[in-house]
This record gives sequence, structure tokens and C-alpha cells, in this order.
Amino acid sequence: MAQAQADRAFRYATLTPAALFLVALGVLPVLNLVAMSFYTIVWKNAAADWQKAGLANYAAIPGDPLFSAGLWNTVVFALASVVIQMILAFFLAYWCSRVRMGRTLYRTVLILPLLVPGIVVGAIWKLFLNPEFGFLGQMLGVVGLDPIDWLGEAQTALFAVVMVDVWHWTPFCFLLLLAGIEGLPRDVYEAASIDGARPWQELLWITLPMMLPTILVTAVFRFVVAFKVFDEVYLLTGGGPGTATQVISYTIYQRFFTEDRAGFGSAISVSVIFLVCLMLVLALAARGRLQGRPA
Amino acid sequence: MRRTPALAAHVALVLSALIVMVPFVWVIGAGFRTQISLLMGEVWFSPTLASFNDVLFSRASDFVRNFQNSLIIGLSSTVLCLTIATLAAWSLGRLHWPRSVVVLFLGWSLLFHMLPPVMLAGAWYSMVRAVHLENTHAAIILAHTTLNLPMALWLMGVFVREVPQELLDAANIDGASPWMALWKIARPIFAPGLAATAIMIFIFSWNEFAVALVLAVKQTATVPVGIAKYAQGYEIQYTQMAASAALSIIPAVILLILGQRAIVSGLTSGALK
Amino acid sequence: MPTHFIGRRLATAGLAATALNVVARPGFAQAKLPTLSIVINNSPWFDGFKSVVDQYEKETGNKVELDVNPFGGSLEKQRSSVRSAKGQYDILIMNSSWFAEMYFGGFCEAITDVDPSFKLDPGIYTCDDTCFFDPASKTMTAQGKLYSMPVNPNIPLLYYRGDLYKQRGLTVPKTFDELLANAKALHKPPQIYGIAQRGARGVAAVSYDFYPYLYGFGGGLFRDQKAGDYTVLLGNDKGHAAMDYYMKLFREAGHPKAASFDQAEVLQAVATGKAAHAIAVIAAWPQVDDPSKSAVVDKMELAPPPSLPGLPTGPALGHWLAGISKNVPDDHKRAAVAFFRWFQTADAQIFYTRAGGVPVHKAALEHPMGQERKYRWMKPMAEALPHAINPFRFPESPEVVAILELGLNRVIAGETMAAAGIDTMTDQILKLMTEKGYRTGRG
Repeated sequence: MAQAQADRAFRYATLTPAALFLVALGVLPVLNLVAMSFYTIVWKNAAADWQKAGLANYAAIPGDPLFSAGLWNTVVFALASVVIQMILAFFLAYWCSRVRMGRTLYRTVLILPLLVPGIVVGAIWKLFLNPEFGFLGQMLGVVGLDPIDWLGEAQTALFAVVMVDVWHWTPFCFLLLLAGIEGLPRDVYEAASIDGARPWQELLWITLPMMLPTILVTAVFRFVVAFKVFDEVYLLTGGGPGTATQVISYTIYQRFFTEDRAGFGSAISVSVIFLVCLMLVLALAARGRLQGRPA
Repeated sequence: MRRTPALAAHVALVLSALIVMVPFVWVIGAGFRTQISLLMGEVWFSPTLASFNDVLFSRASDFVRNFQNSLIIGLSSTVLCLTIATLAAWSLGRLHWPRSVVVLFLGWSLLFHMLPPVMLAGAWYSMVRAVHLENTHAAIILAHTTLNLPMALWLMGVFVREVPQELLDAANIDGASPWMALWKIARPIFAPGLAATAIMIFIFSWNEFAVALVLAVKQTATVPVGIAKYAQGYEIQYTQMAASAALSIIPAVILLILGQRAIVSGLTSGALK
Repeated sequence: MPTHFIGRRLATAGLAATALNVVARPGFAQAKLPTLSIVINNSPWFDGFKSVVDQYEKETGNKVELDVNPFGGSLEKQRSSVRSAKGQYDILIMNSSWFAEMYFGGFCEAITDVDPSFKLDPGIYTCDDTCFFDPASKTMTAQGKLYSMPVNPNIPLLYYRGDLYKQRGLTVPKTFDELLANAKALHKPPQIYGIAQRGARGVAAVSYDFYPYLYGFGGGLFRDQKAGDYTVLLGNDKGHAAMDYYMKLFREAGHPKAASFDQAEVLQAVATGKAAHAIAVIAAWPQVDDPSKSAVVDKMELAPPPSLPGLPTGPALGHWLAGISKNVPDDHKRAAVAFFRWFQTADAQIFYTRAGGVPVHKAALEHPMGQERKYRWMKPMAEALPHAINPFRFPESPEVVAILELGLNRVIAGETMAAAGIDTMTDQILKLMTEKGYRTGRG
């Protein structure tokens, strides 16, 4: 009896701190956002004055060019960068698993961008891509081509930000896929090589299918982080030119903080939370269907 | 027969390593230039320490303090987050909570993990102000702990699963309290997992920008916040930006040399097990 | 009467005033004042301000701490500080785009409320009277209380390549047609572009670049803010003409990357000799003549921004005011006033000028050093300053600026046509002003 009571106390004691954090610093802020989204907040006599706004903040969202552009660009950005990273990372991991010499050294060098703050990655590439003096521009100049203002042209800016993200995060996908490939059972390959399979046949018919679960998990991981992109855009483009690289985090930052529109910024945030929930439910349903059982 | 693909693989890997390294090397070089030399794209230049000097020692710069702040915030939030997450992961994984509790808990942390942190920063800011923590490290430590909690929960959830149930049953029969079972018996088994999780939390805290930007004041600003200052002024400060970027790569290199095994295991085990 | 005579007399007066202060109020230099905390943004004139603060510490023994932030970050830091129970900054260095927010929000303490004996030096330029504010009537006129100390009367001037002008026998442009002609004459891409425009979207980037054109065409944003008439003028024929001209200049002689050019990029183009003209703030001048930062040392000249024939030049104030936070301890407020007392003297202002700052005192602006090559910006500055216009006198101005930043940037980036862009912005501003309850309409 006393034993059971001690066990129950222990069970609550271990979970309570995490629950406190997730409720106090996770649920409350979201509720706070929901509350603020129905108000317009102005400052008078050094105090906040909450003025009822009803649904006005939500009504204004469809007409906000930074919201629609932000959402669209975020999705394009996340999809493009994840796809490119997965393809690059898969081949890098495959090659790395095939070499015996220097595997650790390659891995060490390739991990480095992962450990560097996003803002530093942004700083490095802002300089590196500068059309006047950046390394890439100079190299093009050596070959006799005009430097391209990757970040300054509306047509290339989002692509350039995607490529910076690829540089930053391909190492992550590479590591996960490499661990996956290294963990594949050897005997399947041995059987295949006895059957006289060529390397590309092995890759296509053995490695790829067996790696599919790892590839999917990695892609989902990356998509979640890519969806939250902020640092690189803050530093590289500030959302411009025009709205070419406006992402949703940056829209929230500008509306909520730069322009100090807490009510409207909250309404945008709540809408994004709703969309994220929708995405999550769809993803879980899809997974349930894939595994042949209801979600 | 086997030689050719290996050679091709080496070529591709060396090329990728170059693509990773060239921007780093070029930016470190840019930190040693004068501004006009950089702007004019001169190929040869006589190196100067002026920008490093400016970043480290000028009156307008707090880079040394930023470094200290990043350390304080990174280490404190790592300890706090790791403790909380380990207990919770143990609780959820081993202590037979009803399934609804587990799903609710993990579901919420998953959703929370997907939200752009910048939308939480405003609310955190007002909460911090309400309890008068606005000019302290604690504000950012608490925020980073919360931000990294879902990831830590996930990782530790994987690692606590590796503890064999028979060991715990044996301890239970011997009359060990549940605390003792966790501390004395389970902990040594998942210790490598603790190290891996700790290093992940630390890296994410060290790199975090959006929330620190909103919550930090001069006395608590972290390295990313300090660097952003050189990038978004009304003045060109490219060489200072390069110098500060070069300086902030140093911890990454040290971590990579000292803790590569833990980093790799932290990055991979969450997804693959 | 030569101008420098006034300057010298005022300078002497200022000096005497400082001396009097020290003698008459022994506590002034001796009483231990707390370390003064100032929040400021990182602008090209920051070095000048830093030097003047160093000098203040040296002369008085008082301590000052500077928190330097990016332009946008500075506003956010100030907001957080003034909204806290206890402020972090004693002095807020406020830009023209947000001081109204601080005044109207009740976040600033009038300087004369901290110390009723404080008198603004008559030589100080009051920046369209924006350093005064009356909380009751919410107006900024000399009848209000002294709410801030001007720190930098920043306005844009036309930067042009004097050496190329001499070579080609060009004359300094007074009208927009002349500017276009000169810019086209010097436009030789990719070696050099006729003009570098600041077309990027920022906290206050492209909108600020556009005002001198808008005002120079006789247009404006609102009809009469001082009288409470917020009729939106942007969409009238003058606004359209200014936008059309801005785009014509961009297409025929502009740097093609203007849509991503913020001030740093414009200055980069100027410093590397890639821009024959730029309309840029005087505060950016110090680095143009610095050999470690510029390839056009001694080659740039300045003039007031051009305008239509018969209209005055129309630079927009992008000035800086120093206000005292309401939520800091009294001794900190007194430390702030002590700094202002010293800062507004002619001596300090002349020192400030020599250190690379832009002075707010006539004695410095009209000082004989203006004849020196190094200070060749002073004459055009003194010429343009009386015509300077403060674009906004209400606290919601950041929302209007955000509309302009996005709208103008989209026109330059080619996302919308000029006419449609102006009309959209006009509609959005009209809607905003109606929502906020201002007397507005279409004009």
C-alpha cells in the first residue's frame, strides 16, 4: 500500500516539472495569443489599453499581402529545400558508405555547418553572394561572366535562400541517412552480389527501398524546421525584394514587433497554429493509412 | 571492378567538403581586410586586425559579453531542460501512465515544436515583464528550456527505452526506491544518451536567434543577437560582420573536435530508433 | 555680416554658459551622478556621438553607458524598456519615425519637468519644433514643453561626383530635369550608374528615399498635420508625377538593383565609385572621405536635393531626438539633464562636429570650419535645413511607413505598376487613418 503510494508520488513528481513548463510557457502563450487576437492594443500614459476589435483582426488577414506571400513562400521554401537536401544527402551518404578511407574525416567536415548559428550562416552567405565583391561573383568574373545578384533579384532571391538552407542543413540529412545506410543488414547485399547485381541495381532495388522509412522520417524532421525559418531570411533579404522571400515567421515578426500591432500579429499567429494543426492531423492520417490502420 | 565507384565517391565527397569549407575560409579572410579592400574586390590585400579589434574591444561592441551570455544561457538551459526532460521521459515511458496522458503530452509537445518560436516571443516577453525578470538571463534560459523541451523529450524517450525491464524488476525486488532505480541503475545505462541530448540542447540554445532577439537586453544579449547588429545597420560593416562570424565559428569547431560522437548520436538516434 | 562672426559670438556665449554652470552650481560636477545609460542605433554618425560622450566623461567625470543596436532593433529595445516597470535606458535616442510614439504613449518625461531651471540654448535647431510637445493638445509646437534634445538634424542631400562633373562640364542640378540629364550623362553601366536609389523595403528605407521627390514635386502625404487635417495627398497628380519621375530616373539612369538597396548598399555603390549620384542622409557622409572605407575620397560633393522649378527643395527630416525615459529613477533623470546641459553648449557641438557628428547648434553649423574642404557638407546643409519637413506627427506613423515601404518596393521590384502602386498605397493609408479616427479623406 505504502509502496503503491510512493510509486504514484514518484510518477507525479517526475512528470510535473515538464507539464508545468509546457503549460505555463507553452499553453498560456498560445491562449494569450488567442485573447490578444480579438483586441487592438495601444499604449496610453505608459500603460497598455486593450480595445475590443471583435473579428476585425482576422478579417484583415486575407487582405494582408505579407501574410499570403509569407505562407506561399514558406511552403515553397520548405518543400524545395527539403527535396534538394534529401537528394544530395542520399548520394553523399551512399558514397560515404562506399569509401573505407577517410570516412570520419569527411563526416567531420560535413557536419560543421550544422553547428554554426543560422544568423552566422546568413552573415557568411550575405558576404559570399555579394555581387560586387563576393567570392561567387568574382569567380564568375574570372570566367568572363557578369556577376549575378542572387539575393537582390526577385527571380533568384528565394532560390538563393533555399541554396543557403541546403548548405546549412544537408549535413543533417546526410548524417541521418548515413547512419541508416550503415545500419542496413549486410547479408542482403551479399546475396545480391552472388546473384551478380550491378552497383546501380543494388542502389535502386535494395538500398533505396530499405532506406525509405529513414528517408521519410528525416524529411519530416527537416520540413518542420524549414517551416520555422527566420534567421537566414532576417539577415539575407529581410523578406525582399518585394515579397520574394517573405516567410511567415518574418511576417509575424514584422507585424507583431516592428509595427507593434500585437492584435493583428496574434491573429496571424493563431491562423498559422490552426494551419499547423491541420497539417499535423493530415500527416498522422496519412501515416495511419500507410500503415493500414485508421489514424 | 570495385575501384572505380570508390574513386568517384572520393571525388564527389572532396568536392562537397570544398563547398562546405570555401565560404568559411573566404569569410575568415574577409575579416582581415579593410572595408574598401573588400568592397573593391581586391584579390591581394595586406591583412589587418582592425575589424577583430573593433568587434572585440570597441566601445560599441559587446562581443565578449555576448560570448559569456551565450555560455551562461546555453549551459543553464541545458541542465534545466535535460533534467526535466529525463524525468518526464522516464515517467511517460516507464511508469504506466494511461495512454491518453501519454498521447496528450507527446501530441502537445509535437505541435508546440512545429510552431515558429517568434510567435511565442511576444507572450513570453509580457510574462517575463509581469514577474520582473526582463533584464535577466533567466528570461532567455526559461524560454530556451521550453523551446528545446520537445526535442529533449523525444531523444530521452528513445534512450530510456534501452534500459532493460529485468534490471528494474530486480531492483524493485531488492527494495530500491523508484528514485534509486532511476539514479543508480537506469542512469548509467542511458548516460551516453544524456550526453548526446545535452549537446543537442546546448547547440540549439547557442544558435537560437528569434526569441533571444526579442527577450535580450544589452546585458543578456547572446552571440547571434550581437552579430545581427553588424548586419542590419544603416552603415556598411561587412568586415566587422566577417570578423564576428569568424569568431563565432570557434566554439563549433571545438565542440566538433571534443564531442563528435555525442553530436552524431544525438542527431541520429532521435530519428532512427 | 559674415556668418562666422555670429558663430564665434555664440560659441563664446556657450562657453561662458558652461563655465557659469560649473561655477554657480558646484554640485553639477561634484555630486556623484549614476552611470547614464543611453540607447542608440548604429548609424554612420555614431562615431561622432561616441567621441562626444567620451569627451563628456573626460570633462565631467560622469559615466555613460551606450547600448548600440541596429536601427530597427533600437526601436524594439526602447519599446521594451519604456513599457517595463523600471526602464533600462535613461536616454532614448529617438528617430523621426518613432518619437511621436514615445511622446503620445506617455513614455517620455519633459526635460523641464525634471529640472525647471533648464533652458534650451537659443542656438539649438528645434527640427520643425518636434522637440516640443503638449500632452494635453497632443501637438508639437514651441508652446509645448521641452520633451527632447535634438541630437542630429539628419536630412538627405544630393551626393554627386564633383570630379566627373568638372570633367564633363556639368552644372549642379537644381531641378529634377537637370538631375535626370546629369545622371544619364554619367550613366555608363556596369562601370558607373547615374544614380543609386534606396529602393529596399526596411523599417524606413525606400519611403525615406522617396520623400524628397514627393515634396520636391509639391506633393505630400497629408494636407496639414499641425492643424489636424489628415487628408491623404499621396494619390493626387503630384504624387503620381513624383512616382513616375522616380521610376523614370530608375529605368534610364538608375542602379538596376535598387529594389534590394538599403542605405548600406547605396553607400557601398557610392564608396566604390559605382554611383555618380545618390540622395542620401548627411549622417552617412563621414565614411565617404575615409580612405579605409572609400575609393572616392575628396571626389564627392553635396547639394540640396533638386525640386521642380519654382519650388523649394524638400528634404525630409530623418532626425534624432534624445528623450528622457519616464520609468527611471530621479537621479538618472538628473544625470540625463546634466548631459543635455553640457551637450547643448556651442563648445560641445563644435567638438561633436569635428568628431564626425552633425551638429544641432547654429554656432557649429555656421562655424568658419565650414570653409574647410573636410566640412564642405555644411554649406548645402545649412541651405537645405530650413526647408526640411517632418513627415509624421502622429504615433501610428510606423503603420503608414510599412504601407509605403511595401508599396514603393513592389513598384521598383516590378511587382506592380507605378500608378496602381500609388493608388493602392493611398487606399490603404486612407483606410488606416479612418480606422484610427483621424480626420481624413482623399485630396
